[in-house]
Amino acid sequence: MKRPALAAALVLIAISILIVAYRIVSLGYPVTPARPDYVWTFRFDGMLQGAGKDPLFLLSLPSQEHGQIILEESIGSGSMNFNLLKEYDNRIGVWSGRPQREGEHISYRATILFQHKGLDGTVMPLRSSYPYGVADEQIALIEQLTGQWRAMSLSTRTQVVLGFARTGTAGSGNDPGLVKLDKALEGYDDITRLLVLLAAVSVPARTVEGVELVEGVAGSTLPWVEAWTGRNWEHIDPERMEVVSSAKKFLPLSVGGMSAIRISAGRLSMKRFELTRDIMSRWRIFFERVSRSDRFLDVWSLFRIPPEFQQTFRILLLVPLGALLIALLRNIVGFQTFGIFMPVLMALAFRSTGLVYGLGIFAAIIAIGYTARRFLNRMRLLLVPRMSVLVSFVIFCFLILALVGNKLGLRQFMAVGLLPFVILTMTIERFFVIVEEHGVKTALQTSAGSAAVAVITYLIIQWEVLQITFFVYPELILFVMGLQILVGRYTGYRLSELVRFRSFRSSGR
Amino acid sequence: MIPHPFRGLHEAGVLGMNNRNAEVIMARNPRSLFPLVDNKVVTKELAARSDIPTPELYGVIAKHGDVRQFESIIKERDSFALKPARGSGGSGIILVKEKRETGLITESDRTLTIPYLRYHITDILSGIYSLEGQDDQAIVEALIHPDDVFAAVTYRGVPDIRVVVYRGVPIMSMVRLPTAASDGKANLHGGAIGAGIDLKSGLTITAVHRSAIVTHHPDTGDPVSGIEVPHWEKILLMAARSLEMTGLGYIGADMVIDRDRGPLLLELNARPGLAIQMANRAGLLKRIRKVDEAPEDTFTTPEKRVEWARKNL
Repeated sequence: MKRPALAAALVLIAISILIVAYRIVSLGYPVTPARPDYVWTFRFDGMLQGAGKDPLFLLSLPSQEHGQIILEESIGSGSMNFNLLKEYDNRIGVWSGRPQREGEHISYRATILFQHKGLDGTVMPLRSSYPYGVADEQIALIEQLTGQWRAMSLSTRTQVVLGFARTGTAGSGNDPGLVKLDKALEGYDDITRLLVLLAAVSVPARTVEGVELVEGVAGSTLPWVEAWTGRNWEHIDPERMEVVSSAKKFLPLSVGGMSAIRISAGRLSMKRFELTRDIMSRWRIFFERVSRSDRFLDVWSLFRIPPEFQQTFRILLLVPLGALLIALLRNIVGFQTFGIFMPVLMALAFRSTGLVYGLGIFAAIIAIGYTARRFLNRMRLLLVPRMSVLVSFVIFCFLILALVGNKLGLRQFMAVGLLPFVILTMTIERFFVIVEEHGVKTALQTSAGSAAVAVITYLIIQWEVLQITFFVYPELILFVMGLQILVGRYTGYRLSELVRFRSFRSSGR
Repeated sequence: MIPHPFRGLHEAGVLGMNNRNAEVIMARNPRSLFPLVDNKVVTKELAARSDIPTPELYGVIAKHGDVRQFESIIKERDSFALKPARGSGGSGIILVKEKRETGLITESDRTLTIPYLRYHITDILSGIYSLEGQDDQAIVEALIHPDDVFAAVTYRGVPDIRVVVYRGVPIMSMVRLPTAASDGKANLHGGAIGAGIDLKSGLTITAVHRSAIVTHHPDTGDPVSGIEVPHWEKILLMAARSLEMTGLGYIGADMVIDRDRGPLLLELNARPGLAIQMANRAGLLKRIRKVDEAPEDTFTTPEKRVEWARKNL
């Protein structure tokens, strides 16, 4: 008897945990979806002036990679046209057409989420080629001079190259090889020197243009070099020829040597980059992401259903949790409640009336209904007609409440129409029967038990953290089912039985 | 394994509600057999086949159209009991002790009219008193004239004897004594006294009144312990036969002792309550385990089972 239930419960719980784990590990779902997270808003504003011909303005836009996710973006192009094109790894926004005479205000805005651990490409990129314009004989010379460095590991090579680029021949005691090397590189700017050297020692490298991730406004982008050190791209500050610690974050715009801003037949009379940091709940972030993903579990996600139905499911998904709670309170603690679902439905009704008003209205209608039921008893009506009289009575009470609420300006009284009138009717009947058969005390105890369970259930289903968690991971229902099965197999004593059978505890041994 | 606060109950062998539902009722009482005991008309027929005496049946009213037969059923009778066939907890029962010019006099000295009773019957038929609101039947049967043995500890009404039967073995018993608080009903929830009966001797032992141990009846003031229940062997035997009669492995058999006819089976209950443990100050679980540990062939006939129970429990 015991085994299949236990097995079923464990299987359900395991399935639920597996799906959740799959979502977190493989699909990158947030572990704590309700927790707020930071998102960055990147904004570019520019004033484009035409110069006789129609101008063409190209802006490299942030792309969806390296652990950064673009949640939403918007473009302002005024009277001009906007096109998006892809160039190698870059996304480029192209504004074209005729600007207004006094200049066209163009803008781009993106909300970007940076994940702490971007799943960067673990494949080593190809060795990069030399920058354009370096002569072949020069390359041969440089490669010959840097030959002894190539035997070192990737990161040491980078460090050595950086050291040389930083100090030149100064620190090496006029090593004739280094002097020659320094001479061979004469005439190139710092970034090109670095790229040539890295290429010579076979370290993949690239130039990037972008902005630093700090809140504020910048007038222009800044360039940097990225070198591949075996596992990821290392950020190199070309001014100081140093690897920048990974704690500092940057938003790359253009990768591979292209300028982030290109313009022909026109000029920008104003440009500014602005970064702001905002707090956004993770599930919001997720909503944005899932609604654009095409992976199976994302396509079959509750985020995909229309928003007006989503709200319903946020609540509905917690009803099983309420039912589990009732099972716990009844079978393990020993609460007495009217039926199984009445407290859950009461809790749902409290959502529109609020807790205090909800409880008050419930108590009042049951009290009035009980009086009416006593009176009906004297009329000796048959079962079905009697219940229908009670339903009419309950609805009449709603009507009065709504009208009084309207006069007093109490919305909670008018929300009464959403209360489950069937449940109220049944409760009045049950209350009456319990009073008749077991006395007023038991009836009041049962009412108190129901109210307590309803309040606890209400607090649970109103808990947003839980709502969001179940909404993002609806498979948690299976987990709840597993627990419900386990409660169903609890054959031990109820806590209330400690009181009921207390005479055995004192003298029964 | 048993958490500390529960250990006392466990050691006393107390049967808890969860354990009763899951391990005893679900395991021993197939749902398909419940209708045999949920309807008193069916129970009466089964009892007749097993030679178990029940109160004499005067008539059954099964349809609204038959309500007018009621008068012909009670025509020749001075007293009778009117019950719903599916009622529980004694609700819907009217006991008429005599007929007068003014009307029918009930046990609690109310005067009722025939039209009132006809109305009551239509209530019964439409399922007001039935467990799940299904259509019901009304039973008219002989009024019990209780044996005087419990007269000193009964406030009005009829005391009834509950025997809990596990796998056909009577394992625990009590007599329920009506009080003023219970309005003359033998209903523990309503405030009746439950007095445990020693299986071996048939003597009442301790008693419980609203979960408190009592020694005397609150209304009559007479001691409730040490009363010898007459026909004890026969009562146990009737209870033990309920296994063959219904096939249910866990039953609460409710019986009354009629002054003239002796013990009569009133009804069987497939979900007997747990309060009997307090009336006996003994745990059901302990006795259930004893039954389960005994060799199978001990329990082949009702006689053997009663004998075993009186010797071992």
